[in-house]
Amino acid sequence: MPVTQKQVEEPVGRRRILLWLSSVGLFGSAVLSAVSNLVFIKPRATYGQPTRFSIGKPDDFPSGTRISLDVKRVCVVRDGNKLAAISTTCTHLGCIVGISDTGFACPCHGSRYDQDGNVTGGPAPKPLPWYKVSLAPNGEVEVDKGIQVPPGTYLNV
Amino acid sequence: MSTATKEPGVIRALRDLPSNLWSSIFRNPLPSNDLERSSTSFTNFFLHIHPVKVHKNTLRPIYTLGLGLISLFLFLILIVTGVLLMFYYVPSTTQAYDRMLDLRGTVAFGIFLRNMHRWSAHGMVAVVFLHLCRVFFTGAYKKPREFNWVIGVVLLLLTLFMSFTGYLLPWDQLAFWAITVGTSIAAYAPLIGKEIQFVLLGDATVGQEALLRFYVLHVAVLPSLLVLMIAIHFWRIRKDGGLSRPERPAAEVVKVRVEAAATKRTFGLQGFVRGPFTKVGNVPDESVFSWPNLLLAELFVFVLTLSVILVLSLLFNAPLEEPVNVMHPPNPAKAPWYFLGLQEMVSYSAFWGGVGVPGIMVGLLILVPYLDRTAHGVGRWFARERLLANTIFLTMVVLNVIFIIIGTFFRGPNWDFVSPF
Ligand code: HEM
Ligand code: FES
Repeated sequence: MPVTQKQVEEPVGRRRILLWLSSVGLFGSAVLSAVSNLVFIKPRATYGQPTRFSIGKPDDFPSGTRISLDVKRVCVVRDGNKLAAISTTCTHLGCIVGISDTGFACPCHGSRYDQDGNVTGGPAPKPLPWYKVSLAPNGEVEVDKGIQVPPGTYLNV
Repeated sequence: MSTATKEPGVIRALRDLPSNLWSSIFRNPLPSNDLERSSTSFTNFFLHIHPVKVHKNTLRPIYTLGLGLISLFLFLILIVTGVLLMFYYVPSTTQAYDRMLDLRGTVAFGIFLRNMHRWSAHGMVAVVFLHLCRVFFTGAYKKPREFNWVIGVVLLLLTLFMSFTGYLLPWDQLAFWAITVGTSIAAYAPLIGKEIQFVLLGDATVGQEALLRFYVLHVAVLPSLLVLMIAIHFWRIRKDGGLSRPERPAAEVVKVRVEAAATKRTFGLQGFVRGPFTKVGNVPDESVFSWPNLLLAELFVFVLTLSVILVLSLLFNAPLEEPVNVMHPPNPAKAPWYFLGLQEMVSYSAFWGGVGVPGIMVGLLILVPYLDRTAHGVGRWFARERLLANTIFLTMVVLNVIFIIIGTFFRGPNWDFVSPF
């Protein structure tokens, strides 16, 4: 019986190789599928709001006002002919901060900010970011939440 | 046909149909002797998870308090009511809330099912945690049960994650802001925090994508994982030799009194656990048959659990707040009670409260059986030998409870300290 003879001669070597090959294959496909699943569930495109949007004419914001555009999550500050947009997303855990007498206050864990968005109390780790504001050709004010500017940067209108 | 009876075969077959049908499904008659009592346990699919005999200690209500079983039964209630709710629920930001109102208003028993689902969910978090405490205080995680403890911690985390994902589904104010805060906590995790948050939400903020993702996790991914882990948990209980029990002084060990039936192969040795403790004949004096002793106990716990949930669901309605208003968080915006301890800690420091401390806690919890290698004090509540371990653990539990109490009762608008009195 040639088959048994062969098995007696070198049963280990061949099985080892087979075992090794199939382990590599199994492990490899496990890793590959894990990675591809991760890639799959990470969305490439989102359906959220655009980061750049128009907020209307400069005259919609009379001097001395601080108007919170909650849907856009920015507060538009107008001081004389200077205009700026400060984020109203709390830097702690993402609640929307409300406008208070001294600046901003967060309802979720009590973070407090001054008029310029600097932290004055509570757990917030960072000041509220300021966003780039520009005048579009059609005379409307545009906010770009993709670009942060140093606090105190105003747009002259 | 070749028998002496004159009756045609068909008639006889028809007459015997009920009993034949019955005995083809249930292989055994209702047990009347020990042989049959053991057969019931291992020839029935639903009963074969039980050993044929269990140690008396396992049945002492005061030992387990039935907490693991209650967790299981709550989970079963959650599956049944959850599947029923799925017939009406739509994971869409425009429809979800209306569907909640429909459940209240038009769907027969809708509100009742929702109540049962909600109260069982709260109950499961609490009971699973209490079960963990029971296992700790009785030292039941020690060798050979270390790994089952680890599985248990995973079960606890899965349970918490289940309720976290379920929380978003009604799409009311509570849901939206709790998840906004919760997923922002994830973003504080080092290195991959932001990625985790993004993948969880499927977007930069909580919205339609997040609702769909949480729905899939809640109704498919997490329940499957829970079922798998619970199966392993139960399998391990058997293979680890049944439930833990007090170690016996060496002298007391009863010499094996081999059952007469051991010669009959049909007695079913496979019914006995291959564990270190309940070998056949090893502890015959202190074990009792699972049928009916264990089964009755389980039935009792089940009826009790179900009754409590039914009564609660008749008396109290599950809350439903205003529909989501992405512009105005409620003030204060509070997470569900079992996360309020976390939220309180998070109000001191987002990283330490939300990631650091909980991470260390979970890590320590998993390592418990590998850090504590002593073998003493197993099988008794608050054994004196375990004074140190129990004190440390109790301190942690009490601290957590204090944080939860502060977060629940002492925090008002803007998370300011208020007095509930
Ligand atoms: C979904 C959650 C869980 C379910 C359904 C569950 C179910 C059970 C059941 C039915 C038992 C039998 C004894 C009893 O009722 O106490 C048990 C025992 C045990 N459980 Fe769990 N459990 C869960 C979570 C946990 C957790 C969170 C831990 C700990 C981290 C844990 C660790 C253990 C250990 C070590 C045993 C063996 C105890 C002994 O031998 O005395 N389980 N579990
Ligand atoms: S989210 Fe504003 S303080 Fe926590």
